[in-house]
Amino acid sequence: MQIHTPLGMRDLIKDEVQKKEALKERVENVFCAYGYQEVIAPTIEFLDTYQKAFSNLQVEQMYKFFDAQSQILALRMDMTVPIARICASKYKDALPPYRFRYCSNVFKVRESFAGRRSEVTDCGVELIGLDEQSDLEVIACALDTMAAFEMDHYTLEIGNSSFFKVACQCAKIPEDKREELAQKIDQKSLVDLKALLDSMDLDPEICLFFEKLPLLNGEAEVFEEAWRISFDPKLQKIVRELQKLYDNLQTLGYMDHISFDFGKVPHLDYYTGILFEGFVQGVGVSVLSGGRYDSLLKKFGRDLPACGFSVKLDYLLESLKAPSKKVLRLYYPPNKQLEAYQKAQILRQDHEVSLIPSESKEIRIEEVSL
Amino acid sequence: MSLSIALTKGRLEKKTVAMLERMGYGTENLKDKGRALVFEDTKKDIRYFLVKSNDVITYVNHGVADIGVVGKDTLMERGNQNYELLDLEFGKCKFCVASLPDQDVFQKVGHVKIGTKYPQVAREYFLSRGIDVEVIKIDGSVELAPILGLADGIVDIVETGTTLKENGLVILEEVCEISARVIVNKASFKLKRNEIMAVVRDLESVVKEDAHKNGFEG
Repeated sequence: MQIHTPLGMRDLIKDEVQKKEALKERVENVFCAYGYQEVIAPTIEFLDTYQKAFSNLQVEQMYKFFDAQSQILALRMDMTVPIARICASKYKDALPPYRFRYCSNVFKVRESFAGRRSEVTDCGVELIGLDEQSDLEVIACALDTMAAFEMDHYTLEIGNSSFFKVACQCAKIPEDKREELAQKIDQKSLVDLKALLDSMDLDPEICLFFEKLPLLNGEAEVFEEAWRISFDPKLQKIVRELQKLYDNLQTLGYMDHISFDFGKVPHLDYYTGILFEGFVQGVGVSVLSGGRYDSLLKKFGRDLPACGFSVKLDYLLESLKAPSKKVLRLYYPPNKQLEAYQKAQILRQDHEVSLIPSESKEIRIEEVSL
Repeated sequence: MSLSIALTKGRLEKKTVAMLERMGYGTENLKDKGRALVFEDTKKDIRYFLVKSNDVITYVNHGVADIGVVGKDTLMERGNQNYELLDLEFGKCKFCVASLPDQDVFQKVGHVKIGTKYPQVAREYFLSRGIDVEVIKIDGSVELAPILGLADGIVDIVETGTTLKENGLVILEEVCEISARVIVNKASFKLKRNEIMAVVRDLESVVKEDAHKNGFEG
């Protein structure tokens, strides 16, 4: 008999559950305040739906099985794709913009024994049908969400994938080299990047640009440097827009907890504009991530711009304190069961009460903190 | 903010510690280590720990270590999700394909078997060359595999080539050069950028100093 969990899966018990529920509530309150409506989608999708969405889908990372017609099914690996599907079907006659929020478990097969989870709760929003103008709103919402984690030390790092893409176009980098170049820059793999650039025979100015990109990060001071190495007016325009975004965020009161990284270029064929990741002290991976993905919905037959982000609640749990709460324990002897129940009914209006049969002669109430 | 650095014990250890010392860091505890596993820097707000190369990557992946020093060979075999900011230019060697002189695996028609400690590296290299091979994982003395007929050839790291020569093997192809690298956890980089970049810059200046010196001598 199997009495343990499969690899990458885990049970949440005791204060872990309390922490997660409390965090979820705080995050969802922020989403609600921004006018997002909750969507619940099925746990299982056709693999085909994901293949339509991502050209380079890593199929081996998905849990797959067959339905009765031998079609391949998969456990959903995110909520953005199901929502894109919903937009294209259920919402095809509704006028955009749409604001969706969700809190659902998503699944990815993780490397064995690497200490990663294969099932996590993804809690996020998608703002569909509005262009770059709404970037500010989505980022403000992300910052409010991070504030709701109630942790002291956190940062939201913002980049724009167009900066790299436009640079590649202007510098006429061959299509087949772009993915590799992007990967070296995104990984800040400085040694390999240098070797790759040397092999490409580029103009020195352009070479310097790509060489600088991985470390082109920090706070306000980074714009000056970015501007300086921008070798085309189109690049300068992107720097100006990001700076404007920064100024606007400051005007709205989001002074702290923001940084920029121009060398942030993951998933080239997915993100089309700004992208951002949230980090907190004590967690080795990003706990919030998102960005603009204007080309995804087109693949489902609705050409709408979109921007969104999600929080991986489970990654934060270890860094959070459990909320303290008080509960009542009501001990009663066998002959006073009904009396005890009546007492409990009254107490339950304001308290959590658990009934415990005991040997004592009288009903006894004890307050305990969890 | 305090930093944690994971160092690879063994082959790369001495040179890493020597480098830290030249940077003016307080390495006394690291040099006189006894049975301790964690070492405080006596001058900086840094904590070191010495672990096996594979574990350096694991500790950095999880952000338990902010920075790691580890060989490119291990990074290639394991795959790297961290930033790789610097080549320390020591621990230099090469990944090579080798075999007995009369058994060129690139010419062989039919099923080819490759013995290696680095199955991922071997698989990817032959894949990139468009050659279909069976990779057999071996944990030590890889040179033995072609001699005993377990494999047609091997993929292994070669420093001087002496071990290969002594066993009658020849290098068929060089896959790539490897050396010690500095990796940084992504989240740490965002939250402790200045502290981390200070260490990276210090390391870089020592690397550059050596390159400069070697440039003159060479």
